[in-house]
Amino acid sequence: MKLPSTEPRIAELAAPPSWATVDFISDLHLQASDVATFAAWQHYMESTPADAVFILGDLFEVWVGDDAVGDKRPAGADSSFEDHCVHVLGQTAGRLALFFMHGNRDFLVGPRLMGLCNTTLLADPTVLGFNGQRWLLSHGDAMCLGDVDYMQFRRQVRSSAWQRAFLAKPLAERQAIARGLREQSEARKKSGATYADVDSGAALGQLQAANAQILIHGHTHQPAVHDLGHGHSRVVLSDWDAAAAVPRAEVLRLTAGGLRRIALL
Amino acid sequence: MSNPKVELHIAGHGVITLELDQDKAPKSVANFLSYVSKGHYNNTVFHRVIPGFMVQGGGFEVGMKQKPTDGEIENEANNGLKNEHYTVAMARTNAPHSASSQFFINVSDNAFLNHTAPNASGWGYAVFGKVVAGTEVVDKIAAVKTGRKGLHDDVPQTDVVIEKAVALA
Repeated sequence: MKLPSTEPRIAELAAPPSWATVDFISDLHLQASDVATFAAWQHYMESTPADAVFILGDLFEVWVGDDAVGDKRPAGADSSFEDHCVHVLGQTAGRLALFFMHGNRDFLVGPRLMGLCNTTLLADPTVLGFNGQRWLLSHGDAMCLGDVDYMQFRRQVRSSAWQRAFLAKPLAERQAIARGLREQSEARKKSGATYADVDSGAALGQLQAANAQILIHGHTHQPAVHDLGHGHSRVVLSDWDAAAAVPRAEVLRLTAGGLRRIALL
Repeated sequence: MSNPKVELHIAGHGVITLELDQDKAPKSVANFLSYVSKGHYNNTVFHRVIPGFMVQGGGFEVGMKQKPTDGEIENEANNGLKNEHYTVAMARTNAPHSASSQFFINVSDNAFLNHTAPNASGWGYAVFGKVVAGTEVVDKIAAVKTGRKGLHDDVPQTDVVIEKAVALA
């Protein structure tokens, strides 16, 4: 239903003065079959000197509901991969401030998981106030306007009606649906399909609405810095794949000195 | 005491005169007049135009640049005024009491926007005035070609600019 709605105000988070180092990661696509990436991530989470870690979406290859974790998992289910992830998140949140933003793969991460890991769920986008500057954080998929089919899919799956109906299905059925979607996605990737990049106009519009200069986002797996003009730019995070021929595991680190990329492998 | 009136001068289209219902919507009217008096609406656009529904503006400059606003105001939709054709009401987010500067003019009877209950889904949209002259200008705005611009749908392809908003003495 169309309503005379205004743009919701962009969420803001002010970094406490005690934070000296803030890390951003995204697109790890953690999954049970990729032990190397999980291990790299676990090591990073245990050893980062950051005061806060922001996970900007697609931490998980897929998330079909918070009941994939813990006591609600049906007896006999073989995968406790999610439990391992929850353990790492919880341990990390015990020693630094941990934030998570939904990606296009793990948008069904809910309050139960966040509560279990003592992690704060961030709205997409959110402005982070740090060191006297405003940094706009986003996963990035909502700005890939050129991917018309995906934008339509996104509108559907981000609606509360769709999510209620999906989460009401049995866990096994949701996992089967997710497998089907991933196979479609893999097939599309293998077919050499090109993917729409973040729309510069949309990024600039968001930055102006947020009164921020720099957008930090993931999703596209194309790490780069793009000048958007008018003093604005967008910084794209790298994805992680520790099992690739040239392994990738990278952190974007923000300190008083600015942004810097750190390769972990 | 006569109700305050405000003229919206729309570039290339004409003038819309609004009469504001000070008695039934005192907070919304005071809020709107405050934005008028400081020139907030000058050179803003009607950024969302949906024929048969409403035309919405007051929040964006030309180029879809969002303007900073004052605080959010109380939703006065429970004042008995209905979202009838050519009434003007406050736009807001999903939160009932979240209107700031954006307003809309109903271009049909939108009963589903009226107050039904004091909760999130039933608060409705606060009518605070009506068009008393220039309904044909409203009709022209509702008929312009629209499309997608950036993250926004239903944006006029040619800017519909409020050159100035003037409070009548």
